[in-house]
Parts: sequence; structure tokens; C-alpha cells
Amino acid sequence: MLGLIKKDLFMIKDSIKFLIIILLIYSILAYQNKIDLSFLLPFISVVLMMTTFNYDSYNKWDAYVTTLPMGRKNSVKAKYLATLFIIAISTIIITILSFAIDYFQTNTIDYKTILTTMFLCFFSTSIIESFMYPVIYKFGIEKARIGIFIVVFSIAFIGEFATKHLNFSSFNKIYVFLNNYWIVILPILLILILYISYKISEKIYLKKEF
Amino acid sequence: MDNILEVNNLYKKYDSFELKNISFSLPKGMIMGLIGENGAGKTTTIKAILNIINKYEGEIKIFNLDNNKNEDKIKKDIGVVLDDMFFPEILTPNDINNSMKSIYKNWDFNMFNDYLKKFSLPSNKQIKKLSKGMRKKLEIITALSHHPKLLILDEATSSLDPIARREVLDIFQEFIQNEECSILISSHITTDLEHFADYITFINDGKILLSKTCDELLEQYGIVKCTKNEFKKIDKKDYLKYQKTKYEYQVLIENKKEFRKKYNINNIDRTTLEDIMILMIKGEK
Repeated sequence: MLGLIKKDLFMIKDSIKFLIIILLIYSILAYQNKIDLSFLLPFISVVLMMTTFNYDSYNKWDAYVTTLPMGRKNSVKAKYLATLFIIAISTIIITILSFAIDYFQTNTIDYKTILTTMFLCFFSTSIIESFMYPVIYKFGIEKARIGIFIVVFSIAFIGEFATKHLNFSSFNKIYVFLNNYWIVILPILLILILYISYKISEKIYLKKEF
Repeated sequence: MDNILEVNNLYKKYDSFELKNISFSLPKGMIMGLIGENGAGKTTTIKAILNIINKYEGEIKIFNLDNNKNEDKIKKDIGVVLDDMFFPEILTPNDINNSMKSIYKNWDFNMFNDYLKKFSLPSNKQIKKLSKGMRKKLEIITALSHHPKLLILDEATSSLDPIARREVLDIFQEFIQNEECSILISSHITTDLEHFADYITFINDGKILLSKTCDELLEQYGIVKCTKNEFKKIDKKDYLKYQKTKYEYQVLIENKKEFRKKYNINNIDRTTLEDIMILMIKGEK
């Protein structure tokens, strides 16, 4: 499986130069308080992993990977682990940049706010990709683009609808509970969602013919 | 003789195509050529053997093991080249070498590099910048670099120039020298198969038309060239197919020796695999 993870990482090494330039430009903009750096996290990891799916599909890699030892079983696992690795590395880099920007702006570092923001970004990026992957494995990257678009906008629409039409004071107890225990609840929730997503993707992939 | 590969009654149905009860076996130390028209079922057969397609009927045994139940055990000893290009084109040969060494326990890092030098392949150039022939060479050396016992090659030599093809065919010959390794290769270049294949399996429209040793086909089969009157005297059961040309009848027969004994026709030519393919597909009975 390590070989398959390596292959995904080798595939994105060309995009890294481009992403470093983006990071530098956005760091300057963040320093000037024009943008928030944290939004780059989902952007970077989704773009990089979509690149790997695109090349796999274009070059019909999936047919070949099934001929490798443990290929069919490990292919999906490797994709999820490579994704988590990329999200983790991106989180670390953006966190360090955020510390630096905060320090240059205020001469102090607001560790708590930055770490909380980055943790929530890590969480939300992982969730986005957890929703994306079963759709990609089911329909292929070309058709999945429409599916992903629908999923992301449905989530956004439901969120928008919920904030406008639901009275959150009635959920006060839940809100207080979440506010106090999110540091425990979110990782558990994340592991659960990732596991379910992985199992669905694996089931789809094991049955697939290429 | 032990078989390295056995395919029994392989059946697979698609909307517009059916693979009908394909059966053949490949002994150890031998090379089998799969021939047939485009769309005849060669690639589908190879895909079933490799479990790239998995919903089929029949039984496939590799190294005497069921290919579904022992998939991972089997695949560590198989080298594969598929018809389509399959390496992500953004990778370099070095990336392939570094990834594969973590996939195959037997991966031979140095052997891969030696092959790169032998075939003048650049190690750091992205695959998309390589020619079609160079990409195919890269796929072939990847298939060889973990010391497999069985090579399964789908049109692996078609895009190579004659010199590279000869080099690759020499490597294949070397590969089977220890008599423990075998090759299953589908190819349209039947002249290559005549030189190095031990067995030929001919698939047409999803069915096996024949599966015999190459020597048997080239030595025993023949093409009788005769007039209409001479043709009329030939019993239907004594020929396989015939084709009418402008000046003569070309009749494909299974056994030159017996045919000569029975009929007083001496104009019998040696066949090539291409002749057999064309007459079997285009000929009449």
C-alpha cells in the first residue's frame, strides 16, 4: 500500500511549485488583512487529490492497479491515507504561516484562535472529501464533478436554510454541550464519517470492472 | 507437464458481446500467443484472468490456484502489460521504480535501472514526454522487474519498432529459459508469434476456433490452391474453410500429409498464422 501512496504523492509533486506561489501571494494578502488564510486548506487538498483522480482516470490506472498484489483492496485505502497526509501537511504549513502572519501583525501569537480555526478547517476539509470520494468511485471523476457540485451546494443550501428558518435557541442544550465538548466530539465524528465513507468507497471499488 | 495457467469454460456476457466457454491451458516454460480480430475477445479473456473484470462464469487457475480465492498470492508472481497505456503520464520512470519497490516484495530496483539503460529510457523524464514505443518499453520492463513466473501481455509489442521488438522478444525468450516461467501474449503481429510462440489460441467472436501448438499449425496445416473442378472433388469434412479468388480456390486443410494421400492435388502451400486467421474468419465452408 505504501507504494500506492507514494505513487499519489509523486503525482502531485509538480503542482507543489504552483501551490507554493499561491501560498506566498495569499500570505501577503492575509498579512494585509484582505483575506483569511484558512480557506486555502480545503482548496489545496481538494485540488491535489482531484489531480490524482484525474490522472488515474485519464491513464486507465485502475485497470492496472487491480493486477498488482493487494492492488484492488489497497487502492482505496491508499487514496484515503494520501488524502489525510496531504490535509495534515497543508494544515501544518498554513498553521505555521498563520502564526508568522499574526506575529508580524501584532507581535504576539493568538495560539488558541489559530489552532481552533485550523482544527475546524482540518475537520471540514476531511468531511468534504469523505462525501466526495464515494461519489467519485461510484460514477468516475468525470461524472462525479456534477455529483460533487450537487452535494456541496446541497450542504450549503441546507446550512443556509437551517440558519434562517430554525430557532437554534430550542437546541440550546445541544449547543452548550457541543461548545464544551467539541474537541472530543468532532474527532470522533470525523473518524466515524471517514470510516463509513471509506467502507462505501471500498465496497464500490471491489465490485467495479475496468 | 504442469500447467501454469488453466482457463475452463470462461463465460462472460455483455450487451453486445459474449465470451463463450473459453478453455485452454498454458504449460510451464511455454509461450502462448492469443490471436484474433479486434473485438474477438482476447482482451476480455486477459481481463478475466487478471480479475480486472470479476463477474464471469467458469474457472481460472493460475499456479494451480483459483484466481479468485488466491488473488493476492497469485498476483505477486505475475507481470502484466495491458493494451492501453496505464501509468499516470505525470510520473517518471524513477517514480515507477520507487513506487513498485514498495508494492512487490521481489522488486529488483537495480534490474529496473539496468533495463532503463538497455532500452535508452530516461529515468527522470515524465511519461507524457516519452514516445509511444518508449512508454511500451517502460511497461514491459516494469512487468519484468519483480521476477514474475507468468507474464501476461496484451498487445505489448505492437507499438515497438522492429529493432526494439526483436530486443524485447529476445528478453521474453530468455525469460522462459528456466522452464518454470511462461508467457501469455496477445498480438496482431503473427509473424513474431510464429518465431517464438509454442502454442497458439485463436479466438473469434468470443469463441475459441483452435488452440494448438504453433508447430502443428505451421507444419500440418496447409493451403490447397486448386481449380473449381478440383475443389468440387474435395469432401467437405477434409477441409476447414475455402476462399474463392479471381483465378483459383484456396482451401485451408488441417493435415497436409493425409490430404496428399487422399487427393491427387500437389499444389499445397505452407500456411502462416495470418493465412489461417484470414481463411478461418473470411472463408466459407
